[in-house]
Amino acid sequence: MTAAVRTTAVWAGLSAITVVSWFLAPAHHAQPVAASTPITLGVLALAVIKTRLIIQEFMEVRTAPLWLRLATDGWLVALFGAIVVSYVW
Amino acid sequence: MTARSATSAPSVPRHLPANKDLWVFVLGDFVIFGSYFVIFMVSRHQERGLFIESQRHLSLNIGVVNTLVLLASSWLVARAVQLTRAGEFERARTMIVGGGLCGLVFMVIKAYEWSAKIAQGHTFPSNNFFMYYYMLTGVHLFHVAIGLVFLGVSYFELRHRRRVGSVETGATYWHMVDLLWVVIFALLYVMR
Repeated sequence: MTAAVRTTAVWAGLSAITVVSWFLAPAHHAQPVAASTPITLGVLALAVIKTRLIIQEFMEVRTAPLWLRLATDGWLVALFGAIVVSYVW
Repeated sequence: MTARSATSAPSVPRHLPANKDLWVFVLGDFVIFGSYFVIFMVSRHQERGLFIESQRHLSLNIGVVNTLVLLASSWLVARAVQLTRAGEFERARTMIVGGGLCGLVFMVIKAYEWSAKIAQGHTFPSNNFFMYYYMLTGVHLFHVAIGLVFLGVSYFELRHRRRVGSVETGATYWHMVDLLWVVIFALLYVMR
């Protein structure tokens, strides 16, 4: 796969995930929406996939030195870990 | 081919895009925005009902369109870096201009969204949800503006000195702006 095709495939995947997220949001509902742990965890899982794809592919961390791969993955784990803990807390 | 290279696994060539100084800045921004996101989540935990009710007043369609606009801009800028490496500077410039125009479209849509919210009476002091909404999207919008300056520098690099590292610097910053918006979109607009 050429770099151009790979980048375009990543962009298409990111856009598709965004459209999927659209259907999970409260604004689609006329009635008040209740909190939903499964939906929120699904939304956060999609956000992790999207952010990691941007870091690894668009920012080219996939082929970067080890310290940068560890730092960015460490940030993702710490951030989304803290978000999930503060949600289910 | 030596015996060593024939028996060991092929190593991936490692390349640090842009430069170390920019990455220190980007990682610092990750920490700062990460703190904002966690503080938002703690406030949300304390006023969950208010946050979910207030969230319903956001324009989800606008949030989705703005996300798609930034993702398209990131694709254009990522392609610009690849074209620069291939020596296709003119096409790379076109991609950078396209990415920058997407950034401008994002800002115009955000301004429209804010004005619509204000007209509906949802202002900064309305409640804690809208305070975070204006704070997070405002700080992010400031980063979009800085990102446009980075893309402008990349454009002039492609016209004159044509250093790949400078184009990578603009691109890395721009992707960070895109990435932070993806988290803001999930936390403010979508999660329940």
